[in-house]
Amino acid sequence: MIDVLFIGLSLSSILLLVALGLAITYGAMGVINMAHGEIVMAGAYVAVLSGIWLKTSFYVALPLAFLAAAALGWIIERLVVSRLYGRLLDTLLATWGVSMLIQQAIRLEFGLTFLGIHIAGLGTGLQNVAVPAELQGVVNIAGVELNAYRGFIVLVTVVLTALTWFIMYWTSLGMKVRAIIRNPKMAAACGIDVRKVNALTFAYGSGLAGVAGVMMSGFKGVSPDLGSSMVVDGFMVVVTGGLGSLIGTIMASGLLGETNALVAVATNDILARAVIFAAVILVIVLKPEGLFSFKRR
Amino acid sequence: MKGQHTMLVVEHDMGFVREIAQRITVLHLGRVLAEGGISENRGEPEGPRSLSRVKGVVVTLQLSSIDSFYGRSHVLHGLSLTVPAGQVTSVVGRNGTGKTTLLKTIMALTDHADGRIVLNGEDLSAKPTHLRAAAGIAYVPQGREIIADFTIRENILMGCFARRDGKRVLPDFIGELFPYLTENLDRPGGLLSGGQQQQLAIARALAADPKVLLLDEPNEGIQPSIVEDIERIIVRLNREMGLTVVLVEQNIEFVRFASHGFAMLEKGQIVASGPISTLTDTLVHEHMAV
Repeated sequence: MIDVLFIGLSLSSILLLVALGLAITYGAMGVINMAHGEIVMAGAYVAVLSGIWLKTSFYVALPLAFLAAAALGWIIERLVVSRLYGRLLDTLLATWGVSMLIQQAIRLEFGLTFLGIHIAGLGTGLQNVAVPAELQGVVNIAGVELNAYRGFIVLVTVVLTALTWFIMYWTSLGMKVRAIIRNPKMAAACGIDVRKVNALTFAYGSGLAGVAGVMMSGFKGVSPDLGSSMVVDGFMVVVTGGLGSLIGTIMASGLLGETNALVAVATNDILARAVIFAAVILVIVLKPEGLFSFKRR
Repeated sequence: MKGQHTMLVVEHDMGFVREIAQRITVLHLGRVLAEGGISENRGEPEGPRSLSRVKGVVVTLQLSSIDSFYGRSHVLHGLSLTVPAGQVTSVVGRNGTGKTTLLKTIMALTDHADGRIVLNGEDLSAKPTHLRAAAGIAYVPQGREIIADFTIRENILMGCFARRDGKRVLPDFIGELFPYLTENLDRPGGLLSGGQQQQLAIARALAADPKVLLLDEPNEGIQPSIVEDIERIIVRLNREMGLTVVLVEQNIEFVRFASHGFAMLEKGQIVASGPISTLTDTLVHEHMAV
C-alpha cells in the first residue's frame, strides 16, 4: 500500500512542477499557455542533449533545463503572449500554434533533416536518458522498499515548491506577482511594472516545467510528443485547486496524482484516467472556483 | 502703528500668510518642520528646502486636449485642465460625465488616450501606468480596490513600489492619520469596513510619497460617522502636507469647503472651471441637478 502511495506521490510531484507554472501564469496573466507541455518536452531534450553533447551527468541537466526552459518561456511571452493579453481565446490558439512549432522543430531537427544534416538526440526517435547508478536502486525505509529515483523526484519537487513559496510570500517580486493576480490595474497604479513581472513569472513557470521534463526523461523514453498530454493534466490540477492558490495547486496535484496511482494499481491505467476526468468534471460542476480558491471581493 | 506690534499668526491660508508675515514656521505633529523668511517673490520660498514642499509651489499637473476611450466608446473630448500646485482641485458633474474616466486617463488606465499630460515639466503622455505612479501620481480609485487577502501592512507596502528611492517602509505619519490601521497591521484588508478600507486605500496611495493625489469619490458608500474623518484627512493632507489633490466628489458642500478650484464636467468636456468662489448655485443647478 505504501509503495503505491509513493508512486502516487512521485506522479503528483511531476504534476505539481508542471501545474505550478500554469497556475501562476494563468492566475497572474489570465493566459492559457498551450505550449507549456512542449516546454516540459524541451526540458527532457535538454537532458538528452546534455548527455550526448556535453557528456555531463543527469544532475547537471536539472539547472540547464531550468535555464533553457525559462529562456524558451521568456521568448514565447515576449514574442506571442505579451501581444495578446486580455484575449484568452487568441492566446490559447496562438500558444497552441507555438506548441506545434516546437514539436515539429524537434521532430525535424530544426529543418536540418531536409539538408541531410542530423543532430544526434533529436528527431522522431525515442531517446533514453541514463539515470545515475545511485538513483537506480531501491531504498529501504521502515521495511518498505522504495524506488530511489521516485524519491529523488519527490525531493527535487519539495525543494522547488519551497523555493516558489518563498519567492511568492517572502520577496518583493512575489508580492508584485500576488498583487497582479488579484488586481493588475491597481498593481500598475501602485508602480508595479506589470509587463516585466509577467515576463519573469512566465519564464520562472517555464523553468519549473523544464525541470519536470528532466524528471520524466528518467523513467520514460523521450519523444517529441512527450509533453502533449502534460498541459491537459496541468490544467486539470489548476482547475481543481482553484485559481491563484499555491496551496490549492499543491493539494490538487497530490489528490489527482494519488487517485491516479491508486486506481491504476487496483484496476488499470485507462480506468484511472477516466476516474481522474470524472473527478475533475465533478469539481467543475460543484465548485467552479476550485477546491481551494481565495475569495474574490 | 506700522512695525510697532509683533504678531504671531496661526493660519492655513498661504496667500494670507505670504501677504502679512516676515517669517514663517511650519509645524507638523508637534515638531518644527521648517522655518524661514518669506521671499518677496511669491512661490519662490527661501529657507529650508522642505518649506517648498509644504508650500508645494513646484508641482503642477497639466492636461491638454485629452481624448479618452474605452474600446470604441469615446468618453473624454478634447479636455484641458490645469491642476495648480498645492491646491485641491475638485472635479464635479453628474454621473456618467467622465469624472472617473478623467482620473483613469491621468493614470493611463483607459484603453486608449490622446493628448498631453505633463507633471512638473515631465511629459507623461507616452508613459505606462507604473511610470506615472513613479513620477509622483497616486490614485485612490472608486470602490477603493484594496486587496482583500493582503494584510493591512501588505496593502500599504504595495504603494511603496512607486517610490523612486526603492524604500519599502510604512510612512510614520500613517500612524498619526490612521491609528486604526497601524494598530491592526496584520488584519486582512477584506475584513475592514468600507470606511476603514477607504482609509487603507488612502494610506496605500500616501506610501508612494506622491506629489499629486487623485481621489475618486472617497466618501461614496461609507458610513456617515467616518465620512467626516475622511474629509478631515483630505483637508489635512493638502493644508498641512502640501499635497496637490484632484478630488472627484458629489457633495458640493464638501467641495466648497475643501477645494481651491473646480472643474465642472458634462459629456466628457469641461463646461465651467475656475476658483472655487465661482462655483455658484446657478452652475450647480444647471449642471448637476438630476
